[in-house]
Amino acid sequence: MPQSEYVVQMKGITKVYPNGIAANQGVDFNVRRGEIHALMGENGAGKSTLMKMLFGLEQPTEGEIIVNGETVNLSSPTVAIAKGIGMVHQHFMLVPSLTVAENMVLGMAPKKKGLFIDMDKAIAITEEYSKKYNLHVDPKAKVVDIPVGMKQKVEILKALVRGAKILILDEPTAVLTTQETAELFRELIHLKEQGFTIIFISHKLNEIKQITDRLTIMRGGKSMGVYNTAEISMEEISRLMVGRDVILTVEKDKAAPTDEVLRVENLEYTNDWNKKMLDRVSFSVRKGEILGVAGVEGNGQRELVDMLFNLNVPDSGTVTVNGKSIVGLPQRKIRDAGVSLIPEDRMLYGIADRGTIEDNLISNRIYQKEYNKGLLFDMKAIHEMSDRLIEDYRVLCKSRNQQVKMLSGGNIQKVVVAREFSSGPVLIIADQPTRGIDVGATEFIRKKLVELSRAGAAVLLVSADLNEVMELSDSLIVMNGGHIAAYFEDTSALTDEEMGEYMLGLKRQSDEEIGKVLYAK
Amino acid sequence: MWEQLFEMIFKPDFLFSVIRITSPILFAALAAVVAEKAGVTNIGLEGIMSITALFGTLISYWTQSWAVGVLGALIVGIALALLLGFFALKLKTDIILGGIALNMIGGGGTIFLLYLFTGLRGNTGELTTPEMLIPQVNIPLLKDIPVVGEILSGHSLLTYIAFFMVFLTWLMLYKTSLGLNIRAVGENQNAADSVGVSVIKIKYIALGISGALAGLGGAYMSMYYSRSWNSGMIAGRGFIALAAQAMGQGEPTGSMWSSLLFGLANALKNKMEGMQGMSSYLVASIPYVVTVLGLVIYAVATIRRVRKTRRAQNAMTAPAGEEK
Amino acid sequence: MRNKRMFLFEVARGFAAILLALAVAVIFIALCTDDVGGALEQMLLRPLFAKNGTFNANSLWVVLSRMIPTIFTGLAVCVMFSANQFNLAAEGGVMLGGFLATLVGIYVPMAAGLHLVVCLLIGAVAAALTMLLPALLKVKLGASEMVSSLMLNYIIMYVVLHFLNNNFADRSKGSTQTFPFLETAAVPDLVPNTDLTWGFVIALVFVALVAVFLFRTRWGYAIRMIGINQAFSKYSGMKVGSVIVLSQVIGGFLAGLGGGIEVLGRYSTFLWRELPGYGWTGVTIAILAKNNPLMVPFAAFFMAYLERGCELMRTNAGVPAEMLDIIQAVIFLFFAAEQFLARYRQKLVVKGAREEMKQAFDSEAAAKGGNA
Repeated sequence: MPQSEYVVQMKGITKVYPNGIAANQGVDFNVRRGEIHALMGENGAGKSTLMKMLFGLEQPTEGEIIVNGETVNLSSPTVAIAKGIGMVHQHFMLVPSLTVAENMVLGMAPKKKGLFIDMDKAIAITEEYSKKYNLHVDPKAKVVDIPVGMKQKVEILKALVRGAKILILDEPTAVLTTQETAELFRELIHLKEQGFTIIFISHKLNEIKQITDRLTIMRGGKSMGVYNTAEISMEEISRLMVGRDVILTVEKDKAAPTDEVLRVENLEYTNDWNKKMLDRVSFSVRKGEILGVAGVEGNGQRELVDMLFNLNVPDSGTVTVNGKSIVGLPQRKIRDAGVSLIPEDRMLYGIADRGTIEDNLISNRIYQKEYNKGLLFDMKAIHEMSDRLIEDYRVLCKSRNQQVKMLSGGNIQKVVVAREFSSGPVLIIADQPTRGIDVGATEFIRKKLVELSRAGAAVLLVSADLNEVMELSDSLIVMNGGHIAAYFEDTSALTDEEMGEYMLGLKRQSDEEIGKVLYAK
Repeated sequence: MWEQLFEMIFKPDFLFSVIRITSPILFAALAAVVAEKAGVTNIGLEGIMSITALFGTLISYWTQSWAVGVLGALIVGIALALLLGFFALKLKTDIILGGIALNMIGGGGTIFLLYLFTGLRGNTGELTTPEMLIPQVNIPLLKDIPVVGEILSGHSLLTYIAFFMVFLTWLMLYKTSLGLNIRAVGENQNAADSVGVSVIKIKYIALGISGALAGLGGAYMSMYYSRSWNSGMIAGRGFIALAAQAMGQGEPTGSMWSSLLFGLANALKNKMEGMQGMSSYLVASIPYVVTVLGLVIYAVATIRRVRKTRRAQNAMTAPAGEEK
Repeated sequence: MRNKRMFLFEVARGFAAILLALAVAVIFIALCTDDVGGALEQMLLRPLFAKNGTFNANSLWVVLSRMIPTIFTGLAVCVMFSANQFNLAAEGGVMLGGFLATLVGIYVPMAAGLHLVVCLLIGAVAAALTMLLPALLKVKLGASEMVSSLMLNYIIMYVVLHFLNNNFADRSKGSTQTFPFLETAAVPDLVPNTDLTWGFVIALVFVALVAVFLFRTRWGYAIRMIGINQAFSKYSGMKVGSVIVLSQVIGGFLAGLGGGIEVLGRYSTFLWRELPGYGWTGVTIAILAKNNPLMVPFAAFFMAYLERGCELMRTNAGVPAEMLDIIQAVIFLFFAAEQFLARYRQKLVVKGAREEMKQAFDSEAAAKGGNA
């Protein structure tokens, strides 16, 4: 095929971060002029990183980028915009109290009499583009007042008005309702007909099938190939997207779960933007078992964990630990009930960065008798505990007095884990416990998790890492679209293909089968 | 007593004094508005006003021209605010602490500077000449209208400028591209950055404008209100202005109304001071009590407003049948 | 080792800030007088050393006595700033505490020893309670504790002045003041015939108490953690709202106590006609001490020394004492500037990190044996 038909060519792209993680390895990615091209992959597959490089937010460690036949160095978004590339981010870059028209012309406002904004012109431009590309927006409305779907259109128009001919849309339907999604697709097809090229980052199979011409699948930082959408089945896509190149083996005894500890019944939650994030979610976790929660991020897992620790409140449903309801309880009472949480955002919730390691180890037990002598702390007991935990959890540090933020990511997580695991919990909720940390720490934490489970704790493991959630869990549930799509009591016979199909919404078990995860009282 | 009070309030000269008293608070409140809009909190207004009040008087004394004095106060105000900006934006001093430092300089530092420049101690009363004072303006035609004329005409030039500044500030914020950039930077820095707006530059400009307005407020105090400079003359107006900005929801017109409220409280205090049976001290605390009440009302109203907005947003996105 | 290196760096940075402030002071002094050397001598040496180099004990007592109220306000601000609360009402707390302590000292006779304690307690508790206003406004309504605390200062001042003038004034005296308080309420002198009272010892005791509170109790711990990361503290089970209120109430208590001790120690009646200013000094001290109670006496000494120096400079070299405010402000600005000399900090960090990585690599390789 003649070269000029490719509007974007990324050749041999490798991106290695300073901490050693290789987000992209030798990726080839080509987009034809005027096509809608999907870039697919699970979280962590490297698709966001690849597009960040196309938009100048990051620079490749190796490889070259060719846009419209010209080799370019996209050193910043400004350069990318100049080359006709526009990006619509997942988190909108809009100013809420400004109107749509004002957001449109920010940084390039038309002026009259040198000083004043020509608001009429700005509105006219907005309307012109809006009409031309069939993206209906209200130029005079304030962004804070408009629905999410319209916000997205504004973002697209912003890119278009700055001359973008190539549009990158990052998970655009993540925040949209079904209606808004349909509308977006109509608009994208319209744009395509007008000669624009669209790169569509997503993991939603049915959507990809609807509007894309070709798709590139990424997995583990590498490209799994480019395919014509019409010629590849959803099962095949699923197989390529969700799969492990190396299967992790975890040594663990077979689980012998006993009594139910955590019981979640009919949890429902609709978020502030009217999207139903939790739909009749019911399951339980028993003593001595690790129940995994698998699924592509954004399908309700975040909301679920938040509900379990009162970082958010469900619309309806019950959550009990050993029979006691913990919905809406202050965190101290939840912890008193025997619940520990390894939070996904460790820097925000997990640690006080300017505090010492010791400070961070005692934060969940400062009221306990063992560590207090009357009004004062029993420093000896606290020091002993800190040193013991540092040793047991192999936290690499100078001393317990070192500031936590000086530690490496893996060691910071070990501090969090040490604190949460050592309070004798009956239920451990681990949310992405090994994300972004080194191999050594990862292994250690996983081993500890199994150890505690076999010692009798109930473990709820939420992880987007396929290996982790499949190999570490004894049983698992798959979440998709806010509901449980599948329950597997025994993960040992589970294949990657099956996982993919449930995770991506191709298959769904019957209510009866799923209902088995709620154990009889 | 209450009847006495009531009678006094509805006299034109009382309302005149309200406007007069409000003006410096208004300048400072607008200064707070502009700074806050850009996302930089300028709590050094008290100090800036004190320092610019001093320099306004001194410069007008040296040049025997009030106009140059006012201009000087304006420039000093800008310089001080930019200095704050330098420490807060470049050296990363917490901007609140930077503001406190400015207030410290405005406290004892001004006494020191006065001595340095004139040998006087704490008070410039003896320097004042008519050329140094901001002239009063009797607006033709308006001044002859009964009641209204008495209230609105005869104020100092800077008073009219203060209220005109409400309009100018609004104009700048909502009709110019600078204002657009300021609001964008203050609300969503990343959004502004992503379209190529220089966040730091805008913050400096906003601080500069804030300093200029505070400078005018300082000049007003020393060159009209008190006709001289003395230490402590700002008496917390710089802080009251912060409350006025908050109560005014960070908007120029809103801040004007809340400034008027505090002006009213102050004027009341002045009137009541002379009255029988009124403790001058308790009365003196009225403006500050009103400020606290204002903060409370504003906070409660904000909580209610946020709840309402959420509900409205949800109503808009409800999956109804028809498309928009 | 890295911690120690960073600590030394911070100390060096502090000195740099102070030197800069002095440099600025020198410039201003030069504008005031021709005898810059003489003025500097007054400011830097005279507080403790006489002309012939001998140690001036009397001056030392003056300096130490000046530290008494500011140690308390310094401690108060340390506690509040540790919780990240920018409550500036220590000023008002001092005045209220002083006033109420005096009133109890005048009108409620009691046995010696007990009397003083009760006076001080009442003053301190009253000041503590007034802090509920900015604290609750912040916790329940999210209203800025800074503005409300600043307003509180003025309100307290006027309320106290009202009662002072209308109800408790000793009309026989020329200037406004209360009647003298009873002997049993006075703070006894530590060094006879000076202003240095036992209040100084009490202040140091409280330095220790506050240090223990902040670093050795669960409430102090909660205050510090909430100041570092509220989300973390909530997730860990701490009651954020209550602790925020607690931090401000304790701050008020300390400020009120300081006010009481100062009035009952230095004077024989209550005679403040405006806010005495110790609260603002307390803020500077807390910044210099980096919110560490144990460093408060040193910072307070530094400020008292400087104040005395500026005073002497005024008396003997004609330079206005308000130079102090300018110096304070400059030190403040540079001390709190994260990026001041940041380049050097960065170099230290990088150097330290490289060393560490090498250490870590060596030890891990050793631990793994031949696995690498």
